[in-house]
Amino acid sequence: MIRLIEIEIYKLFSSYRTYIAFAITIVLMLIINLGLYSDGEELFSFLLQPLREYFFIEGAVINGNLIAYLSLNTLWVHIPLLTIIVTTYIFSSEFEYGTIRVLLTQPISRNSLFTAKIVSMIIYIICFMAIVAVFALVPAVLLFGTGDVIVFIDGIQFIQEDGFLTRFFSTIVFSIISMVAFSSLSMYLALWFKNTLTSILISLGILIVLTLLQTFVFGIFSSWQPFLFTYHFSKWQLFFVNEVPLSSILNSVYFLVGMCIFFMGLSYYKFNKLNISE
Amino acid sequence: MSFLQVENLSLQYGNQTILNDVSFSIPKGKIIGLLGPNGAGKSSIIKVLSGLVFPKTGKLYINNTLQNSFSELRNSCGYLIDSPAFYPYLSAKKNLRLLKKITKSSTNIDDLLIRVGLENVGPKKVKHFSTGMKQRLAIAQALLRKPEMLILDEPFRGLDPNGFLDLKNLLISLNENGTTIFVSSHLLDELEQFADIFILIHNGKIAFQINKEELIKSRKKIIFTFEEKLSIEAKEYLFKLGGNFENELKVDIHLCPSEIASTISELVTLESTLINVETHTILQEKYFEITI
Repeated sequence: MIRLIEIEIYKLFSSYRTYIAFAITIVLMLIINLGLYSDGEELFSFLLQPLREYFFIEGAVINGNLIAYLSLNTLWVHIPLLTIIVTTYIFSSEFEYGTIRVLLTQPISRNSLFTAKIVSMIIYIICFMAIVAVFALVPAVLLFGTGDVIVFIDGIQFIQEDGFLTRFFSTIVFSIISMVAFSSLSMYLALWFKNTLTSILISLGILIVLTLLQTFVFGIFSSWQPFLFTYHFSKWQLFFVNEVPLSSILNSVYFLVGMCIFFMGLSYYKFNKLNISE
Repeated sequence: MSFLQVENLSLQYGNQTILNDVSFSIPKGKIIGLLGPNGAGKSSIIKVLSGLVFPKTGKLYINNTLQNSFSELRNSCGYLIDSPAFYPYLSAKKNLRLLKKITKSSTNIDDLLIRVGLENVGPKKVKHFSTGMKQRLAIAQALLRKPEMLILDEPFRGLDPNGFLDLKNLLISLNENGTTIFVSSHLLDELEQFADIFILIHNGKIAFQINKEELIKSRKKIIFTFEEKLSIEAKEYLFKLGGNFENELKVDIHLCPSEIASTISELVTLESTLINVETHTILQEKYFEITI
């Protein structure tokens, strides 16, 4: 099993696609930093104007911690998309290259191969989110320094500098679970369609539609929300509420872990029953 | 002695029957040619034998021992199924190394590349390979585990005459060293050159099976073409031998191999203007029956 995992990781990190996803993420984070470095003061003074009428704000509002928090907003669509570009490929590429035939005619079980691919997917997501964390935080702190953070979630939240890193890295860990859940869905689709582009487009379509549905907080739509995985993805924001509502976050973690188990289970069944007839 | 035996193999995709009660056995150390037109079921048999598709029914015996599933055969076989498949972003060597690691094979990759004639392109990425080079590399993949048996689906596809000759010689040399070879092709001429046993498949069923010795001994269909109309004597002679006149200038007749030379000699004596003699083996006849 270890050998198979090593091979899957080797294949993953030998493909240029993996590095493209990393490069896009790094560029995205740097653009956010550079954009705010050049025009951030002006933008924030405009945004905070109404607030200054009621509060006395001392020190720099724009600081590295705030920029890092803002960079985390890419978790809504950008990061999930960049994640599945690679994780979908873990299965679909084997069908596209025809190498699934070569692998499955070796004396290894389908279960072992499936498990190795799942493990490599999780390892990739951890690496990817580590890059997100480093490039969201380090350039921002180097350019803007640190400080308290003002965020708008259910009103104004003042996050003290001391606890910021704990909240930031908790968000990253939570997002790893979210990305594994989303990748499980795209992986399942890859087993159906055996094609990278189709699987990515459908996954992305589901993400966009559910994110949109999530904004409908009235009537019948509000009762759907707890069943939308995007609703649970968005719970990372709760780490930036003064009193972190752990029970609500844990509920979302349970939901996302359940989603992982559900789609991985379906994929496992599908993969084991799959006729490689093409 | 049978190396493997397949009994009552049936395969369905949805409502479509692909293989219908197919049974055959493969003796150890022979080259078996699986023949049939496109869509006959050749690739499906090979995919079942490789564990890539799951049959509806069927039993597999290896060395007369009943196996739990067709996937068991993977332990002793090397495969080339459909078109060659590799990771195009890796070199030939790296592709083989990955498989070597999966299979814990002890084969030396450089030796293997020499064996298939790819020693100079080992570090080259596979995406830059020609069809023939990919085909050779696929054979190297199949040989990596030093298998007792090679199962090859259309291995000559896309090869030029030199490539065909090289691959044929490689397969013959492997067979001489004891490897059983099961090879499919829709081109009869390719397989007739070197297979020991021929299995003809049509519409998912075994249509005909013959071994090389029987094939050599069996009567052949000879088609004589003449430049001018035959004399009455010549016509009578051919009628007596059971000749079937397609027209005044063309006649086909079934003869034993030993009778062919004497028949031609007699036709020349009877002043027939023989301009062409075409021979069809019984295998070719059966093949043409189902393909035309």
